[in-house]
Amino acid sequence: MANITPEEVIVTDFAVREHRSLWIDAWRRLISSNTARLGMFIVALFVLSAILAHYFWEYDPKVDLDYTLKLKPPTLVANEDVPSVHLFGTDKLGRDIFRRVVHGGWNSLRVGIVAVGISLTVGGLIGLFAGFYENINMTSLERIFLFGFTGLIMGILPAWAAAQPLQAVLMAGLGVAAAYFPNFHKDSINRLWIFAAAGGVVTAVPSLFAGSLVTLVCGVWGILTGALLSRPLEGKFFSNVMMRLMDIVLSFPGYLLAIAIVAFLGPGLEKGMIAIGIVSIPVYARLTRSAVLAVIQKEYILAAQAVGEKHGRIIFRHLTPNILSPIIVQTTMGLANAILSAAALGFLGLGAIPPEPEWGAMLGDSYRYLTSGAWWAVLFPGLAIMLSVLGFNLLGDGLRDALDPKLRT
Amino acid sequence: MTSLLEIKNLKTRFFTADGVVKAVNDVSYSMESGEILGIVGESGCGKSVHALSIMQLIPDPPGKITNGEVLFEGRNLLDLDERDMRKVRGRDIAMIFQDPMTSLNPVFTVGYQIVEALRLHNDMTKKEARKRAGELLTLVGIPGAETRLDDYPHQFSGGMRQRAMIAMGLSCEPKLLIADEPTTALDVTIQAQIVDLVKKLQQELGMAIMWITHDLGVVAEMAERINVMYAGSIIERGKVRNIYKKTRHPYTMGLLGSLPRLDDSPGTKLASVPGLPPDLLALPEGCAFAARCAYRNDHCLAEKPPLVEIDGPDHIVACWRWEEIAGINKNE
Repeated sequence: MANITPEEVIVTDFAVREHRSLWIDAWRRLISSNTARLGMFIVALFVLSAILAHYFWEYDPKVDLDYTLKLKPPTLVANEDVPSVHLFGTDKLGRDIFRRVVHGGWNSLRVGIVAVGISLTVGGLIGLFAGFYENINMTSLERIFLFGFTGLIMGILPAWAAAQPLQAVLMAGLGVAAAYFPNFHKDSINRLWIFAAAGGVVTAVPSLFAGSLVTLVCGVWGILTGALLSRPLEGKFFSNVMMRLMDIVLSFPGYLLAIAIVAFLGPGLEKGMIAIGIVSIPVYARLTRSAVLAVIQKEYILAAQAVGEKHGRIIFRHLTPNILSPIIVQTTMGLANAILSAAALGFLGLGAIPPEPEWGAMLGDSYRYLTSGAWWAVLFPGLAIMLSVLGFNLLGDGLRDALDPKLRT
Repeated sequence: MTSLLEIKNLKTRFFTADGVVKAVNDVSYSMESGEILGIVGESGCGKSVHALSIMQLIPDPPGKITNGEVLFEGRNLLDLDERDMRKVRGRDIAMIFQDPMTSLNPVFTVGYQIVEALRLHNDMTKKEARKRAGELLTLVGIPGAETRLDDYPHQFSGGMRQRAMIAMGLSCEPKLLIADEPTTALDVTIQAQIVDLVKKLQQELGMAIMWITHDLGVVAEMAERINVMYAGSIIERGKVRNIYKKTRHPYTMGLLGSLPRLDDSPGTKLASVPGLPPDLLALPEGCAFAARCAYRNDHCLAEKPPLVEIDGPDHIVACWRWEEIAGINKNE
């Protein structure tokens, strides 16, 4: 019988696994999708061209003027009629549209980043705090901070109406006072009267010089706010106040509100950015709050509390990374939206001030010449708007699929 | 000598739109250091809420601890403010939770989470903490602990996650570990491993453990004393032997009777306690268990039975008819 000698088994360490994080997984899924890749390509093209143009291709719109080149169609080679190459043609002032479209990209990029930055920061913080403190007890310090914040936000309206920031500061002080003295005339109707009166005084008095109507409106708003702040100060209450404020902002049609804000602030690209940013705060606030409410029930939040973590750390280290996916998607889509809104404001003459290159303003400048055959002056800025918005939307769709936990294997 | 943990007349209420939920009603007991205490009862009987009350992690609103004292080494935890309480959590009292699937944060590595817990209460550099985290994972029996530190929770199995949670709970060497149904979500073999692990750790580290469960088999194996809870109150308390062999409360008898036994003939229907636990919004005036109790009489319905010592502090029961029940208990 043949001798079977057992082979020596060499144990190799096959259990070498990569430490894959959720983000790396999501990135892999993102680049494996065609639409997302297309979106990324368009976005990269847009961002790169804008940055390169801004830093390496000087352009001073104030001196860019040449009536001899008025409304020339696109050319690929120079000829006698048009001595210089104009890839996209020229507009009514003889300006090179290609150059203006590329430089307009820089403006659109800025609008997108600043506007989304405003709405994401303010809305995101409101949503985070509202969702978190709705479920978790506040400490006295947090209460003081949050109600000061509430007062500040509530004070913005009268401060805006009377065109000076004093009321917002005073209202913030009232919020702090309410949180600092929670036992002042507690459970008594006096507390309500005292705070309502204080609220009325601090908002009405500084607005006296702005006219009696303004004083009246501010005073009523101040009395209401003071009465609100006299109530028992709990997370649920804070969340309610914030979310109802968001509902109020949301109840205005976005463009109308943006136009109203620009009308108040005055035209200009920067003002437009602020207006667009303010208008979309509620979107982020609601999204963040709903995401927080879903995550905060998870046991790891309780576990983080049980090992003695501070609230701030729980909010920013434990909660925030877990709610990022919907917010990243919304931010990407929001960029597209902001670009579109800026173009709309520019078209109406409320955004960028001419001769600043801005896609919407360029459309607004040139659509009158469409009937005389100058299609290029409208087509290319329009195409730029469409493509950049499409790019961000495709990327957002791709991100949504990539970050969707249900697809996770 | 003061006990490690002494709870006096603890009452926790949830003030909801439907009314006041009386989740914990007048719970009093004490725990010595190094002791394993089992807390058993069916779902919704206030086991977990009472543990969260000790940690002061009851969501407020709607929850509120309305009465009582939680003395930890003689210090009333309910008097501490959030900042001092934070120092107690994790360092003096640690807690592990029921569902290992969701109690680790999915976006951080396991190592990061243990290191974080370590550095929260100890003055440690990142390097030291990482080394200690590796030791802790080895201690709870995770092979290749050093490399597994960089794994994300989704790369761990359920049992391993629960081990990691235990490692996190042990990180600051607490004097009391509250384990809130730590084995419920695990399968039986893993349950046995976790039970053995906790027993071993308890012997090595000498901490007290409060083991909350509805699994009577598990507590019998590990605990010295048991509190049986029903509708937010303790109804029977004592040494394991007394509870299992000299059961005096009809509810405990029902619980024990509902366990399947090896010597049951095949096809025997599992016994159950008839009826449902009472609505905590409207607790009856008398004994909370009376409605489901086979031995009730008018007295039970009219007046709530107090906890009485029937065998010194080693066996305490809240039943009017425990003496009569003693005669019919077949387990003895």
